[in-house]
Amino acid sequence: MEAGGIPVMRLKDIKRHYVMGPTTVRALDGVSMDVDKGEFVSIIGPSGSGKSSLMNIIGCLDTPTDGTYRINGESVEGLSRNRLADIRNREIGFIFQSFNLLPRLDALANVELPLIYAGLAKRERREKAADLLEKVGLGGRGHHLPAELSGGQRQRVAIARALAGNPSVLLADEPTGALDQKTGAEILAMFAELHAEGATIILVTHDPGIARSADRVVRILDGLVVADGPAGEAA
Amino acid sequence: MKTRVFGESVGMALRSIRGSAARSFLTTLGVLIGAASLIALTALGNGASLAVEESLKSLGSNLLIVYSGQPRGTALVRRNTSNIVPTLTAEDLEAIAALDLVAVTSPESSASAQAKFENRNSSVTVVGTDSKYPAVRNHYPAAGEFFGEAEVDSRRMVAALGSKAAVDLLGTEVDPIGAKIRLNGLPFTVVAVMESKGNDMTDAQVWVPISSFLRSVSGGTKYAALNVQAVDMGLMREAQAAIEAELLRLHKLPSMDAADFYVANQLDVLGAAQGTAGTFTLLLGGIAAISLVVGGIGIMNIMLVSVTERTREIGVRMALGAKPGNVLVQFLVEAVVLSVSGGLLGIAAGVAAAWAFSRFGGMAASVSPGSIALAFLFSLATGLFFGGYPAFRASRLDPIEALRYE
Repeated sequence: MEAGGIPVMRLKDIKRHYVMGPTTVRALDGVSMDVDKGEFVSIIGPSGSGKSSLMNIIGCLDTPTDGTYRINGESVEGLSRNRLADIRNREIGFIFQSFNLLPRLDALANVELPLIYAGLAKRERREKAADLLEKVGLGGRGHHLPAELSGGQRQRVAIARALAGNPSVLLADEPTGALDQKTGAEILAMFAELHAEGATIILVTHDPGIARSADRVVRILDGLVVADGPAGEAA
Repeated sequence: MKTRVFGESVGMALRSIRGSAARSFLTTLGVLIGAASLIALTALGNGASLAVEESLKSLGSNLLIVYSGQPRGTALVRRNTSNIVPTLTAEDLEAIAALDLVAVTSPESSASAQAKFENRNSSVTVVGTDSKYPAVRNHYPAAGEFFGEAEVDSRRMVAALGSKAAVDLLGTEVDPIGAKIRLNGLPFTVVAVMESKGNDMTDAQVWVPISSFLRSVSGGTKYAALNVQAVDMGLMREAQAAIEAELLRLHKLPSMDAADFYVANQLDVLGAAQGTAGTFTLLLGGIAAISLVVGGIGIMNIMLVSVTERTREIGVRMALGAKPGNVLVQFLVEAVVLSVSGGLLGIAAGVAAAWAFSRFGGMAASVSPGSIALAFLFSLATGLFFGGYPAFRASRLDPIEALRYE
């Protein structure tokens, strides 16, 4: 951690409980962790461990039942849906397992989406989206629809989209889960490249092999952090 | 920034509608038919109202009719004067003619009579009047000349035939002018055939000088009715009041409650007729409005389906920073674009239908600008109202649930 620098993300004693009839499910039961600027962190855990709940909270799609969560020092609890949408737009770049591109929009328009909600003018959006597609190696594919692209290409469009708003954090949920080994490796190589350029990345996965591509691995089990350390040790 | 995001919503809506063109068209069909029927049906209603107005104007402009007797239930409607006990005199007529607000007058009495030409018989209504009848009633001879003051003064036995009466009695072979006919056995010479009024009752009448009528047909000296043309459309109420006052004075009566005459004002007749036509228009408009509502329900149905189908898209947009308001506007704009384009197409179809009705259907149809504005506003409101609920549902989706939706 840089001396005196505030972490990009600081989770303190985060709890997420779901009330289901008579029982309460403690999906997260006191998770604390910091993520500093420029870190590449994997969050790993088997299904049902609470990692999805954690990812939803980190991504500001959900708010904790208890505990505090700050992004760049800004507290997130108790914010309205509108403010949360703003924070997602500004701070988080989502990358999903199933890409989640809008099927009727071409690659350029998909990359532009977050910029629409950020309020950028059409021309600025176009230029930025074209630059980003160039950066992920899809310079000539701007006008292709998702259905006309391969899985790896689709995920690269999704990465370009995640980068579009210059977010503080890239939040990737099983980004290689729908890809074959070779394509998955290409995507992980792209993450490494982005990390080298200074991006902060959080990669959520159940696969220890993939988790190892990060510098640091946080292991979640039964709603608690059970290990947190350099990739070599924790995974 | 707000307007920019809104502008994007319109763009997104158009892209989405283009993306499923066939479904979008079918969705707008309900509103299209609603707007078209609103335009076309109110055009028919308007046309009917204008037609009534036209036919009343053809009675004569600025016309007041003074009838003998007490007003009946249907006092405003033009009455057949043959079964009225006459109470109006030549002095009354002169006094009314002298009023400032009165332009022209003519007396009128009528009776049924047996008309005969050679060996043909026909039953007609004989109307006694004077030389000013054509001017007052806006009804002129098509052939020959209407009898003048001299013929009236000298009780000449001359007659003007309605266009239908002429054909019924004389056939089409005989030159009517100069033909000798008999009315109730008395000989009359035909001097004129009147133009058709497009009204069988009027066209089957026979006009003779009022002096001859009183002496030979009905007997007595009084008139059943007086036709009065006021000097100005805007002064008809005043003219009516002046006539009533004058006649009350002449007949030495205290008030209209005791009067042995009454005045039918063309404006009242027009008002009553227009009221009927207005109700008709309102009724047709109501039917059309119902079909717009049905069209709106169709839009709501499709928008609900669309929101469900695009749950995942909504989740993605929310994850990327769309606020509930952005999602609401996107779907609302989509519904409004659907309903307004349906409305505009419907307006075009309605105008075309109204034109076809009058061109090929022989119906009077007149599209009013008001109905076009109404159809447009109605389709806009339909989109806002029926698109509102689906759009609200979309905006309330939980992004996590929406992203998980298959």
